[in-house]
Amino acid sequence: MATILNSAGRHEPTDPVTKKTSMRKLLTATLVGSLLLTPGCKDFLDVNTNPNAPQAASANLYLPPMLHWWVSSPQWDGRFVGRYTQMYILVGTSPSTWDRMGYDPGSDNGGQQWRDVYWTFGQNLVNMMEQAEAEERWDVLGLGYLLKGWGWMVLTDLHGEIIVKEAIDQNKFYFNYDTQEYAYTEVLRLLDKAIENLKRTDGAVNAAYLGRTDKIYNGNRTKWLKVAYGLKAIALNHFSNKSTYKPAQVIANVDSSMVSNADDALLQYPATVNDDRNFYGPTRGNMPSYRQTYFVVDLMNGRWFGAVDPRMSRMLSPAPDSQYRGLDPALGTNGALSTAQRPNNIWGYAASPAAGSPTRYIFDDKSRFPAITYAQLQFVKAEAAYRSGDKATALTAYRNGISAHIDFVNARNLDATSNASQIPAAEKNTFLADTRVVPATAAALTLTQIMSQKYIAQWGWGFNEAWMDLRRYSYTAIDPASGLQVFPGFTPPSATLYADNAGKLVHRIRPRYNSEYVWNLASLKTIGGDAADYHTKPLWITQP
Amino acid sequence: MMKTRVLTALTALVLCAAQAFAQQKTVTGKVTSDVGAPVQGAQVVIKGTRLGTLTSMEGNYSIRAEVGQVLQFRFIGNAMEERTVGAEDVINVQFRRVATSLDAVVVSALGQTNVKRALGTSQQQVTGADIAQTNRQNFINALQGRVAGVEVTSTSGVPGASTVITIRGISSISSSNQPLMIIDGLPLDNKTMITAQLAADAPNSPTAFNNRGLDFTNRAADINPEDIESLVVLKGPEASALYGIDAANGAIVITTKRGKPGTGGFEYSNFFRMDTPGGQPEIQRVYSAVNASGAPILGSSTYLYYGVPYAAGTKFYDNVDGFFRTALTQKHSLAFSGAAPDNRINYRISVSNDKQEGVVPNTAYNRINLTGASQAVVNSWLKADLSMSYAYATNDQALKGAGGPLLGLMAWPQNDNAADWQTPAGTRRRYTTLSDASENDNPYFSVAKNKINSKTNRILTNIGLTIAPYSWGNLKTNIGVDNYTNSNLILRHPESTWGFTNGGILDINTDLTRSISAQTLLNVNSRQVWQGLSLSGVVGNAVSDYKSNTDAQQGLGFLDPNFVSVNNTNSRTARTTISQRRLVSVFGSVTADYNKYLYVTVTGRNDWTSTIPEERNSFFYPSVNGSFIFTDAFPSLTKYITSGKLRAGYAQVGKDARPYAYKPALEYKLTSYGGYGYSFWGPNLKLKPEFANSYEVGTELTFLDDRLGLDVTWYRKETEDQIVENIRGSYATGFILFNLNGAKTRNEGTEITVRGTPWLKNDLSWDVVANFDHSFGRVIALPNELPESYNSDTWLYGNVRNGVVPGSSTRSLTGFFYQRNKNGDLLIDPTTGLPLRNSVFVDRGYDRQPDFTLGLSNTVRYKKFSLSFLLDFRKGGDILNATDHYLTVRGLSMRTLDRNEPRVIKGVLRDGLENSTTPTANNIVVIPAINTNYYLAMSEELFIQKDINWVRLKDVTLRYQMPGKWLKARDASVYITGTDLWLKTNYTGLDPVVNGNTAALGGSGAAGIDYGNFPMPKGLAFGLKVGY
Repeated sequence: MATILNSAGRHEPTDPVTKKTSMRKLLTATLVGSLLLTPGCKDFLDVNTNPNAPQAASANLYLPPMLHWWVSSPQWDGRFVGRYTQMYILVGTSPSTWDRMGYDPGSDNGGQQWRDVYWTFGQNLVNMMEQAEAEERWDVLGLGYLLKGWGWMVLTDLHGEIIVKEAIDQNKFYFNYDTQEYAYTEVLRLLDKAIENLKRTDGAVNAAYLGRTDKIYNGNRTKWLKVAYGLKAIALNHFSNKSTYKPAQVIANVDSSMVSNADDALLQYPATVNDDRNFYGPTRGNMPSYRQTYFVVDLMNGRWFGAVDPRMSRMLSPAPDSQYRGLDPALGTNGALSTAQRPNNIWGYAASPAAGSPTRYIFDDKSRFPAITYAQLQFVKAEAAYRSGDKATALTAYRNGISAHIDFVNARNLDATSNASQIPAAEKNTFLADTRVVPATAAALTLTQIMSQKYIAQWGWGFNEAWMDLRRYSYTAIDPASGLQVFPGFTPPSATLYADNAGKLVHRIRPRYNSEYVWNLASLKTIGGDAADYHTKPLWITQP
Repeated sequence: MMKTRVLTALTALVLCAAQAFAQQKTVTGKVTSDVGAPVQGAQVVIKGTRLGTLTSMEGNYSIRAEVGQVLQFRFIGNAMEERTVGAEDVINVQFRRVATSLDAVVVSALGQTNVKRALGTSQQQVTGADIAQTNRQNFINALQGRVAGVEVTSTSGVPGASTVITIRGISSISSSNQPLMIIDGLPLDNKTMITAQLAADAPNSPTAFNNRGLDFTNRAADINPEDIESLVVLKGPEASALYGIDAANGAIVITTKRGKPGTGGFEYSNFFRMDTPGGQPEIQRVYSAVNASGAPILGSSTYLYYGVPYAAGTKFYDNVDGFFRTALTQKHSLAFSGAAPDNRINYRISVSNDKQEGVVPNTAYNRINLTGASQAVVNSWLKADLSMSYAYATNDQALKGAGGPLLGLMAWPQNDNAADWQTPAGTRRRYTTLSDASENDNPYFSVAKNKINSKTNRILTNIGLTIAPYSWGNLKTNIGVDNYTNSNLILRHPESTWGFTNGGILDINTDLTRSISAQTLLNVNSRQVWQGLSLSGVVGNAVSDYKSNTDAQQGLGFLDPNFVSVNNTNSRTARTTISQRRLVSVFGSVTADYNKYLYVTVTGRNDWTSTIPEERNSFFYPSVNGSFIFTDAFPSLTKYITSGKLRAGYAQVGKDARPYAYKPALEYKLTSYGGYGYSFWGPNLKLKPEFANSYEVGTELTFLDDRLGLDVTWYRKETEDQIVENIRGSYATGFILFNLNGAKTRNEGTEITVRGTPWLKNDLSWDVVANFDHSFGRVIALPNELPESYNSDTWLYGNVRNGVVPGSSTRSLTGFFYQRNKNGDLLIDPTTGLPLRNSVFVDRGYDRQPDFTLGLSNTVRYKKFSLSFLLDFRKGGDILNATDHYLTVRGLSMRTLDRNEPRVIKGVLRDGLENSTTPTANNIVVIPAINTNYYLAMSEELFIQKDINWVRLKDVTLRYQMPGKWLKARDASVYITGTDLWLKTNYTGLDPVVNGNTAALGGSGAAGIDYGNFPMPKGLAFGLKVGY
């Protein structure tokens, strides 16, 4: 029998027509109605608010990632800066690019702080500070200024010219570079704003609110204030080669800063998942090929300072034959050392240790890792005082620095199961009493001693500042007082320098490859960043 | 009393009938094919009306018609026959099979049926029978070569592998280029799960797969090929304009089977297939991995075979060959279908069970499909259509790429038996001194202990109502739900390379996806408005709501190494991913028809999408197309041409962004003490829809009484303001990635289809269809004049990726290619004599796009035998053979056998003179066996094989139609089918159809990157089909 075909159709001829008109009209009306009505629904389309993550958060919730990276980001780049500063070297038969003061072309190696200052801080820091200001949370705002100031300082110290004025703008896609001079003006302005805000106790300043997410000082505003002063001291001290250098200001800021190791800015890694473990810890396994250099070993084994430093066996790693040695980038890493003579890795083993094995110093999964310490600032003060001629102040600060750092080493070896022993008080006192290390008189103090001890105190974590120190003293400058290099024994890999260096030592890291060389090259070219030897161009801050 | 009533009623009825249908009579008859077989489902229509019926399984029909009316008999693939109703009550018709006919009935956009002559756009149909005959589990794999302009790339030959289908090439740089799938009028989700939904791929996760090591089935594969009645490919936006923003890359319109009139009955079919591996690369057995002093030479994950020659008499094991198995696959399908005698109600119920084994041990794909469909004519003005289908699919795959079986087997020492994979304690047996986390997994171990399992439960429902209240038109509405639960389990065993560091990694996730769609169409029937000029039209609206909710968990640190459960892990993380998109559309189309030889159709559509900022989320776009049957307008031309049609179309189509693309969101950070921070993606509140402008012109000609047909189309499509996802910028923006408008691409191409019946005599006939396609996609501009855009997931081997730069092909490859001087000579390092590589990604014109493709399908029938086979040709297009690079670097490739031969690499020294008029030719002799950097530092560039061609025998089927009496069946046949049996190519790898990643990737993805890729196996199947 015939029937309706397809969708369209009229009455089928054989169908006895039953006129259910009302039903038919109702259905038709319903369908036509639905046809006309639907497009107007604005609410229906309002489903584009991301349900997977919020688009704004309370000010203090922005803080933990920023604090994590404030401490951790320098570690990431420390794999490379640590090789420029000869804290580490890659074990092997031929020296790698960074050991030769070169870089990895087309790679983001050495660009972690670039990433964290612009992205991890970036818009998050802007949001946090805007919200904190609106809510009169001066402590949070002050901490924001501190982080911002720190960020520009480490970036300009690493890279020289950086983007400051135009930064954090999603409507621009080309960014002009600012001079280092401008960057430093901004660093000092921001740190002053940090100090100004961290001093405030009015408004909604609340240690409990800040402490909920600040696991470094648990919301203690005054400790952050000390950090702000400390950072300002460090920044001002970087002007040491300039006529505008004001050592008195450096000293004053150190004096407003930390007063003991209890003030150290330390982040304890919870070590629950990959991302919150110490980057240098054995589980993350980033450092199995890194070894200590002969340079740091010689600073501690008595070669330059007579006495064997008690910290050597608590910070550094022995070779399988139990002797402390280092590898030499100038000799092509392993040099003449046999396998048994090559130093163990930073965890104290020849190979990667099994999970849970004891490690040493600040290299455990759960270590408390420093960002800035009392000992470090005491050496800053010692240098400033020494250069201003106040050698008595310098000596006191110098001795405080060594003493505090010995305590620091002991404390760190207690943070987790360590295969290094504690330094007994007697051993510490003997070392401090050794006049080859701590001169009996202020007049006998040398810059070589101050800077070498500062280097030791910063070994393994203070990469940015240690590199500034080396560059401020042109790596191999001579201290007339000691007759030695300011950093005695520091030997640049002159014979094996990276080809693009054209015989020059490294002075800056090229800006992050995947940010600038690929996506902002036109601007980078205006500052000469595309030159093959750009990384050897000296910084403004280290020049007179 | 009673008698009177009956009489009155009868009189009334007769009068009534007589009044309305004077001189009606019932005509019956049988419709047969050109070889005399009954034709089921042919349309019998009274010309000039929409009245008609379908033929039964026996080919019979019955229709009431007036004397003098003309009956039209239509069946796809055959010329329309016309018979005038006269005195006789029986009209039998034998069809004449033709290559093409303008009166063929086809499905067009919005599921409307139309005669071909009215279409001003390019589309092509594939019958369900052709698809089912290939025995492919994923029906998309059956489409390669069958439609001009369609390109199908399967990720691998492992059961359940995902497949990418594109029409007219790659135009979108970063988002999907796959067409919209429509099934019975409503969208069908064809998602391939992305690993980003796993907890393993949480931001900054060290356990991420980035879609490289895993593959998941593209979800359209849940459809049972046996349920497909026909499949129509709407190629360009011109054809698919009415489907809107999701059809910017074309549309595939699937119509599923319905019960046909007749007595009802059932059909059973099965097949049993054996699959064998497609081949294996040859590796050298001359040089060992041991140096002169007996120490092994180790690379980062395996030995390096740069040692002394193997000792004479060394026993070698064929580790690769021994690993694979002959896989057995079987499928059984049973369908009941039928209709009421008056065809007011029809039904079809089918069940099918598909059990596929892979040639890689422990891989399998099983699917059960249950479908039911019924149509009912409720009364004179209401018709209902209900279909429901349920699919259950389970899939076991193996790790692929770097962790896949092929690479692991080839790197395993050949003088060691890889099959011996366990220690006496039952743990992984190792062969190097590398750490557990470094040494390549033995594939025997890997497939036994690692696990990738996916289970999917899917329900598709579709309810349709057609109301024809008035003679001028009807209203048709469909509402449907596409709902599935896809659960995955990925285990990296605690002893495996991948799981060792974390003590085992178990990822599980469940993706709950549901799409609710509704579409209403108001059709206005064709009405003559002026002499010869008729107008018809449709207005409609559509609403869709897509939501996917994935809950993922990861467990690390197994207590019992072999107990597979998150409960057995000591560290667990969870992650939820929700994605929702809503779309509301209104659209309309008007067709003007002048004397059935000139048609002009104008369409318009407005979409409102949830994924674009509100002020710009409404956008309108039009299309216009025309068809001119010049042989009808100028009948004198039929001396030369049987029929001829010219067509032209223009369309604009908009496209929106993915959900949540323009507002940045914070993400929970896993760094110390949690907290929130922005994800990589920055804001773009200025985001607007992208638009494609597309033109096509074409002609359809038939000759020799429709025995030869030619269909030629030329098209150009330009996408403006294209949204590029994950565009990078200076970090000074405060972010790393953006979703930006601003790319422009241009695609052009020519498609030619030739259909012919070269031989049609007596018992022997031969039909040929050739589908030729030449297409080219070019990137004209990138957002913000950026130098390159790429998908980082395609950066899967060395330093090569699917980067595009302005001016390049949309399928180019960029890489750290060799440095060259201005003459194009290689620059040679004056100290080593080896070529220097770029340290940035550069474009060197490598292009994975073929020059042309040609699909040649042939059907030869002789008496009751039929032989059909499809040959797939491709000319040109580059392939990266990363597998060969991997083997070469490790000293395993046969090309390393001449390692002791001194050579000088042709090039010029980079000594400062390289760009002068007198560059210094390289004269430094290198002996690779001594300077192994010769191999170790080779750029992947040397392994990009240019201009790859192939001919492959995709499918071949020999069928024998058994005499009905044998099995007492209405219809019975037996057949042998071969799949991917034969391949001839200049590609040196296993198979140039490769994808280094999965179908989930946007843009050009990693098609053409062959890294440990496992090709389609060769299959041979035997099957039976009977119908009662």
